[in-house]
Amino acid sequence: MSAQAQHSGDVPLFYRRGFRNVLQQAIYVAATAIVAWYVYTSLDLRDFGFGFLSEPAGFAVGSQWLTEVDGVTSSRLEIYLVGVWASLRAVMVAILLSTVVGVFIGVARLSSNFLLSKMATLFVEIFRNTPLLVQVVLWYAVLLVGAPVIQDVVNVGDFFFLSNRGIAIPWPVPSGGLWGVPDWFVGVWVLVLIAAALVAMRVRASRQEIERETGQPHYPNRWAFSIFAGAALISFLLLGVVVSIDRPILDGTQYAEGMVIKPEFAALVLGLTAYTGAFIAEIVRGSIQALPRGQTEAANAIGLSGYQRLTLIILPQALRQMIPSVTNQYLNVNKNSSLAYAVLYDDLFRVATVIQNKAGHALEMFFVIIVTYMIISFAISAVMNVFNARVTANRL
Amino acid sequence: MSELPPIPRPEQLPLPPAGGPRKIILPPHRERARRPWRIRAREWVNRNLFPSLTGTILTLVSAGFLGVLFIGVVWFVFFDANWNVITANRWLLFAGSFPREEAWRLWTSIALVMFLIGLAYGTWSSLGRRDSLFIVLTGGFVIFLMAHGDATIWSSIWFLAAIGFLYFGYYLTVWMPRETSPRRVLQQRVVGGLLAISLPLVLVILMVAGGANTRQFDGFVLNLILAPVGIVGGLVVAIPLALGRASNMKTIKWTCTAYIEVVRGAPLLGWLFVALFILDDIMGGDLIIRTMVVLAVFTGAYMAEYIRGGLQALPRGQYEAAQAVGLNKLQSMQLIILPQALRISIPPIVGQAIAIWKDTTLVTVILTLRELKGNADSAIAQSEFIPDRIEAYVFVAVVFWVVAFMMSRVSQRVERAQGIGER
Repeated sequence: MSAQAQHSGDVPLFYRRGFRNVLQQAIYVAATAIVAWYVYTSLDLRDFGFGFLSEPAGFAVGSQWLTEVDGVTSSRLEIYLVGVWASLRAVMVAILLSTVVGVFIGVARLSSNFLLSKMATLFVEIFRNTPLLVQVVLWYAVLLVGAPVIQDVVNVGDFFFLSNRGIAIPWPVPSGGLWGVPDWFVGVWVLVLIAAALVAMRVRASRQEIERETGQPHYPNRWAFSIFAGAALISFLLLGVVVSIDRPILDGTQYAEGMVIKPEFAALVLGLTAYTGAFIAEIVRGSIQALPRGQTEAANAIGLSGYQRLTLIILPQALRQMIPSVTNQYLNVNKNSSLAYAVLYDDLFRVATVIQNKAGHALEMFFVIIVTYMIISFAISAVMNVFNARVTANRL
Repeated sequence: MSELPPIPRPEQLPLPPAGGPRKIILPPHRERARRPWRIRAREWVNRNLFPSLTGTILTLVSAGFLGVLFIGVVWFVFFDANWNVITANRWLLFAGSFPREEAWRLWTSIALVMFLIGLAYGTWSSLGRRDSLFIVLTGGFVIFLMAHGDATIWSSIWFLAAIGFLYFGYYLTVWMPRETSPRRVLQQRVVGGLLAISLPLVLVILMVAGGANTRQFDGFVLNLILAPVGIVGGLVVAIPLALGRASNMKTIKWTCTAYIEVVRGAPLLGWLFVALFILDDIMGGDLIIRTMVVLAVFTGAYMAEYIRGGLQALPRGQYEAAQAVGLNKLQSMQLIILPQALRISIPPIVGQAIAIWKDTTLVTVILTLRELKGNADSAIAQSEFIPDRIEAYVFVAVVFWVVAFMMSRVSQRVERAQGIGER
């Protein structure tokens, strides 16, 4: 008989740790089960099921891009996926822009230039302490009321149009090209571009390696850029100019052709960008300030310029610290994109509520919404984890 | 052997010339600070605005941008904007469908809350010149809004009285010496207790004996009610959740983790969707009650994560020390672990409180509740104010900004007073 068992033999059963542990958990599980059972029985589950998603939608959504889904023939699931794609577009653009804005403002806040740093502080304090919903509707109001009506549209050389119907810009579209190739050749070209980018990155890495070993300049960036640009140009001409630039045209009171950035989308992205940018700026500032002062002094001592000091010494080190917090902000962008509802941009949440409005099934629709948001969040976290691993891998 | 020269005594050393200026050498930074302000100002400008060519260009560009911005704001605020949309609808924005003849309940609540804020300031902090300036400016802004036009002179008198209560509460407590003494402890307990019961007290004042019912909470008043409910309820939900997630019992740990992750997975709008359509079946009750529950549940999940961070940041020795002095689990949590963990997690919790303050606007989006932003929507739906959308939303943004900014300043002060981040 082991010492443990001998010891526990002296203690009454009720006071033994293992028994206590099991008892507490049993009570907890029973209580949770009772609550869950109560919730389950009080829900209206008579026609629970996801079959309603395959019925025809019966409503149209705006905010389509690269998709042509009309509400009459397509199913509810298809129209929901259109909403998901609309959300993804807004989230991607907002993440990209807010990162740029955040890094710029965060660095500007630490500038030794008095005016610049105060301006950055003003930006952060304004946009961080105002509700995002109000910001989004305010941008929307500015874009609707502030911009000229379509009759006096601002026309920049028949190239850009600006009115309260949105901004129309030229956009590349697939075309038959010189040898009359089919439209899908543009896909071939995109694949060639991706391959060229990969090759260019390899060349850049290898030349950087040589540079590090020999100490002689081998111009990795110039090489990479030339390879990519050359490959893009040659393949573009060889495949027969598969892309043409589609210039916007004003057709009465509507835009035709080109790419139209609608005010709803612009308001959402502007709001998300300014709001998240302010938070990212604070993260950037915090992680730069957390670096030891010696880093700045060392960079000054070896004679780097201000720009070199920032891009070669400070930001790469601060990056390691800010990635977790910035990832969190990206996840917030994803969740906050549901505010599209307030400006009538047909994102996934709005489309889902419209479906729920038409078909009922609130519980199923909520499952669909939460699962979609979780999948997108998971994708963002996964990408950022890969990035994080790459950044922290070559720690000195 | 000749006589050695006498050793000079200290008092025989030559004295400095009488009447001449005595030179005191200070350290360099003190010397620089002693120069006339003109030279120092010029040096400051040279160093901070025109250090180099790029610096000068940067300054000029920023100055131009700021100038354009400033002129634009001034032009908008004083010449372009039509603030009638605010002044004509100020009761709508402030309290909406709250019955006007019961307005004294609102004002009493506001005076009470101001009094409690004054007490808290006097007990734990002090009102500096900046705070007073801020209060005066905010008060002036509110009174300017209220006293514009007809029959609202009473509102500004009420508001002045509320500010008076703030200072009354402040001077009631601030004279007490800060050293620990039985009276000081009593003071802290009393003020803390009053703060703890202030939220139910306010709800009682608003609703009891023929007051408003919950459907009449409207406008800015609704924001002012929802945010504290979300914050306090969130904390109540968060502490057991955080302890549960840090627990070593598997079932408790897993369910708490699942709860936190699921709640954090969906946006607040999604949970308000639940409050509108699904929670009705489960708990019934008024929509505003369901919204409060959802806000508490939602905030709780976020705050639990911050408190868990505080629990993890505590050194292992604290747990072991609590065990060593013979405290049981409950006692060690209550006396040793939680006070320290909560203290560490004050900054992110206040951040979350500011977030929930801003998020109270979301109840307008899919619910039928109308808070400040929702009533601004109603204001610009009136035919004469349709072109004044920007003014209405700018007003809403400014109001939210003022409160959020105050909260962030108070949190900074608490951090400094508690010495968080200085260990």
